[in-house]
Amino acid sequence: MEYILTTKQLSKYFYQKKALEKVDINIEKGKIYGILGPNGGGKSTLLKLAAGLLKPSGGEITIDNKNPGVYTKSIVSYLPETNYFYKWMRIKDALNFFNDLYVDFDMENAGKSIEFMKLEEKEKITSLSKGMLGRLKLSLALSRNAKLYLLDEPLNGIDPVSREKIITSILDVFNKKSTIIICSHLIYYIEKLLDYIFFLSEGQVILEGETENLRNERGISIDKLYQEVFQ
Amino acid sequence: MITLLKYEIYRRWKWLVIRYAALIGLGIVFYNRATFSPMQYNIAAASMGKFFLVSLIVFAIIIVEGINMLKEDLFESSGYLTFTLPKSGRSILFAKNFLLFVQFFLWALVSIQFGTMFLKLLPLEEVSRYMAEIDLPVYPAILFVLTAFFNFVLMVQFSLTLTRTLLYRNKYSGIISVGIFFLLTYLIEKFYYGPFLYQVQRVYSEIGSGLEVNMLSAGYTSVFMNIVLSIIFFTATAYLLENKINV
Amino acid sequence: MEFNNCSPIYLQIIDSIKQDVVVGKLKTGQKMLSVRELAGKIKVNPNTIQRVYQELEREKITFTKRGMGTYLTDEEKIIKLLEEEISDKIIQEFINGMNKLGFSNDKIIGILQEYL
Repeated sequence: MEYILTTKQLSKYFYQKKALEKVDINIEKGKIYGILGPNGGGKSTLLKLAAGLLKPSGGEITIDNKNPGVYTKSIVSYLPETNYFYKWMRIKDALNFFNDLYVDFDMENAGKSIEFMKLEEKEKITSLSKGMLGRLKLSLALSRNAKLYLLDEPLNGIDPVSREKIITSILDVFNKKSTIIICSHLIYYIEKLLDYIFFLSEGQVILEGETENLRNERGISIDKLYQEVFQ
Repeated sequence: MITLLKYEIYRRWKWLVIRYAALIGLGIVFYNRATFSPMQYNIAAASMGKFFLVSLIVFAIIIVEGINMLKEDLFESSGYLTFTLPKSGRSILFAKNFLLFVQFFLWALVSIQFGTMFLKLLPLEEVSRYMAEIDLPVYPAILFVLTAFFNFVLMVQFSLTLTRTLLYRNKYSGIISVGIFFLLTYLIEKFYYGPFLYQVQRVYSEIGSGLEVNMLSAGYTSVFMNIVLSIIFFTATAYLLENKINV
Repeated sequence: MEFNNCSPIYLQIIDSIKQDVVVGKLKTGQKMLSVRELAGKIKVNPNTIQRVYQELEREKITFTKRGMGTYLTDEEKIIKLLEEEISDKIIQEFINGMNKLGFSNDKIIGILQEYL
């Protein structure tokens, strides 16, 4: 079993708040994972720890058997919830920036993706709508040939047409050598993509399993299951 | 490192050009005004004063820009981009501060050049009398001031980074970084420069003012001490950026 | 193809393909869409499609020609079995449904004769 990401008793505390409490997770290569749960449950925190933005309070997290650092950042493509672009950039600058700083960036693919998402290279970042920013972030994140993609709420604030495009893009980039972890509230739209899911609440995994098995066992969709579990 | 530097320059190249064009341009304008009426020293002094003001403003801009370069990545969402780049904390910090360093140098070059030009317009006897009174070795003094200001920026960057490390998204981050900064200044005065200045005083009083080389070597030594301090702060900040901060 | 999320999707896809075969939408010996193609078409995880194809191959409904892709079987016998399997399933569902409504098996036969 080859794992791209493992956590052992991983904990993260902010002042008094326990964002993650002794979490053990193993992520296999070549699958699409869903980490689902309510806000503040620890999903974003887990992703940020994997991205190297947060440092563990306890336990450990390894990506490709290495601690988060310069190497892991080079094989991980992180899509945050917020707009993380430098305000001075135009879309073209963002493409060039990624191309210069990431060895695995596919410039040609990125250009096509930008077109597919109906974005123009000469646009300024500051003039883009929330939806456009979401599509741009995704185009860039998915134009990398990363070993691990961490997508934090990729469908938030996205209109239905763009949503379909994003799902198509995610499927296009996915292959046996890569792994995708998606955090999303919009379970209905992404369930068909997920191989395995974790329900994360108050910093702990309260349910996990193969998506198809859960459907088989419970006879309901993951969306419904989520509603049941989190009332 | 170089790639990051390229973008630090690219993002503000227009401002950089304007800045130095204005500095040099206004310097020329004021100088011409001064030379136009050669014997009227008050005009020369006024022009020199105006240039000095412009130079000071540019200097302040450079410093504020230097501090902001790190501050924006520490406290705004662009940090999510910067700190997920496959670059070490050293690389990131170096790219930001290299530009600062180059600008200090450029600014100093231009300002001193114009400064000496202006000084030559003033009556020579007054100037040399003035210089003799002060008995200050010029070059070490200039270097000391430059390295001191470079240190100032590095210390502010360190304070900001330390605050970010200790506190995660706190309203009081600003006040705390200022607090840390003053604490550092105090500690450095007391434990770093303090003993050094004391030594200098002792040596000076023992050997006597007959040795002129004392002030010179004291000057260069203090520059050296500033450089050491810069290295310490740079390394410490880079270490925190790489290993400790939570963005 | 529309699938609901309430039961395993791979089973739904298998059923759908079996139906297409029986109905004739998929011709015997026809080349199937690749895993990626089908996954992209119905917006489903490629691993799920992989599982579908593995299962179809296990039931000998499809076979793989090395380096060329997956093909639908052209063995009449297997297609016949599929037809039976599917019609059995539909009939069983029908009978169950009718039973649930309260119709006895004799009544069902009567109604069917009238209807047809």
